[in-house]
Amino acid sequence: MRATERLPNLATAIVLAALVVLPFIVPATLASQIAIFATGALSVAILLGAVGLLSFGQGLYLGIGAYVCGILVRDAGMGLLSALLMATLSGAVLAGLLGSVIVRRHGVYFVMLTLAFAQMGYFAVLAFKGVTGGENGLSGLPRQFDILGLSIADPLSMYGFMAGAFFVVFLLVQRIIASPFGTVLAAIRENEPRSEALGYPVARYKTVAVALAGAIAGFAGGLHVIFLGFVPPSDVELEMSQRLLVIALIGGIGSPAGALVGSAFYMIVSEALSEIWPRWLALIALLLIGLVLFLPGGLWSAGRRISALFERKTAHD
Amino acid sequence: MTDPILIADAIDVRFGDFQALSGFSLSVRSGTIHALIGPNGAGKTTLVGLLSGTIRPDAGQISLHGRDITRDALAFRVKQGLVRTFQVSSLFAKLTVLENIFLAVSENAGASHDLWRPAGRRRNLIERAEGILERLHLIDTRHRRVSEIPYGEQRLLEIAIALALEPKVLLLDEPAAGIPTDEVGVLLDAVASLPPDIAILMIEHDMHVVRRFATEVYVLVHGQVLTVGPPAEVMASPEVRAVYLGSSGQSRFAGEAHGA
Repeated sequence: MRATERLPNLATAIVLAALVVLPFIVPATLASQIAIFATGALSVAILLGAVGLLSFGQGLYLGIGAYVCGILVRDAGMGLLSALLMATLSGAVLAGLLGSVIVRRHGVYFVMLTLAFAQMGYFAVLAFKGVTGGENGLSGLPRQFDILGLSIADPLSMYGFMAGAFFVVFLLVQRIIASPFGTVLAAIRENEPRSEALGYPVARYKTVAVALAGAIAGFAGGLHVIFLGFVPPSDVELEMSQRLLVIALIGGIGSPAGALVGSAFYMIVSEALSEIWPRWLALIALLLIGLVLFLPGGLWSAGRRISALFERKTAHD
Repeated sequence: MTDPILIADAIDVRFGDFQALSGFSLSVRSGTIHALIGPNGAGKTTLVGLLSGTIRPDAGQISLHGRDITRDALAFRVKQGLVRTFQVSSLFAKLTVLENIFLAVSENAGASHDLWRPAGRRRNLIERAEGILERLHLIDTRHRRVSEIPYGEQRLLEIAIALALEPKVLLLDEPAAGIPTDEVGVLLDAVASLPPDIAILMIEHDMHVVRRFATEVYVLVHGQVLTVGPPAEVMASPEVRAVYLGSSGQSRFAGEAHGA
């Protein structure tokens, strides 16, 4: 529908190329984490980018996905794919339930509610030690997984799985944004009362968007558990919500490709800086301030700006 | 004369101590253009909110097609064919003209639950959207963002969106407000070309517009209907003229009355 319809294809090609190149630039385990947190950041991107809803609590859904996946694999002997599916569903259901309550609140109240629910989730994990392992997390998961007969044993095949998983979610998000449903989400972001006046039940659309974002976060939580081989309680901590938000903002929420850029940047910088200086998060904070002030579209938009400049130049020539 | 399609009966709306509408009644018929005029503070904005569903009355009943809709939400009323436009253009500024109209077409066709197929490939919906844009001479601007097109065209797009929702009853909230004089003509043509079978209630200040289109005029003063009648009769009424004490209103009226 837009004149810019070619752009998603270009973004897809760049993302695919980046995923292929990534394990050759950084260690495969780091590359896996980049793919996992990029997936998690997509859940922020679809909310903030498409509907304009700022969630400070996506860690809650990533956390429930992680615990559900961990418990099902360890105690129910469930296979990898079905456990991931259940992690996704649990994120969707929890987010859908909480979402139906909070989408009627706007602005700062919405943000505070996402934060409050995320905190409740964290304390619930600590309180139900018997199920979650409390502060020790959930350990004793198998160290090796099979998928459709192939075993994920070495870091590179692990990365292949994680990159594939991210790419599928990336395509899905891109597809949803371009669909009529996605156009309605954009309309709600731009002008909520007007969307209502067009006959759209806005609260229901927002709830579905929140549930979708919860599903993506839950899926990412499952991926994280498969990667680690145990469930760390930090998955459901506030820091996780924060990290997903920061990654999405650094990368840029205008395109789902921003999630990968943001995650790669965040993970590589934190890996490199944490060896030199334990307070490396301060630098991330500085960077975030700089981005918000000077490049509100995030790193992904920088590429687009440069290419726009370049096109203008060639057009002049 | 057809039966009324939209009826408001003995409506009271209070905001604290302020009585915005009291004992207000109105009936709107298919195939007729009704106009509602009144000085500032008469309750016109409240009325639009009341009929479209953003304001709940303290007393009274609203019915559409003989069905009580007093407690029904805005979105539901739209689905029943009661559609409004906005006095101050209320559009999706960062979306393109085509996307704006697509949203209305897609809602009307019930196609917006689709999460999968790209919106741009829904040929039938796109064609309907483009057809409406063609009718309102907006087809050439379809790929531009709404924030980039002139205000007059934004007003036209308001009407285009309303038409895309296939209204049975259309509330036009000051359609000509804020349009530069040289662009008013296109808008009036658009109003003139509205489907003849729908019921229209136009809230309008401009007496030229009222005279040209309306067959029945309501005069609203202090939340009550002062008088109802054909435009010429209403404008000649000394009672109505007394209400418009503002000199601009007076002269506007005087010119019209002489013209009649």
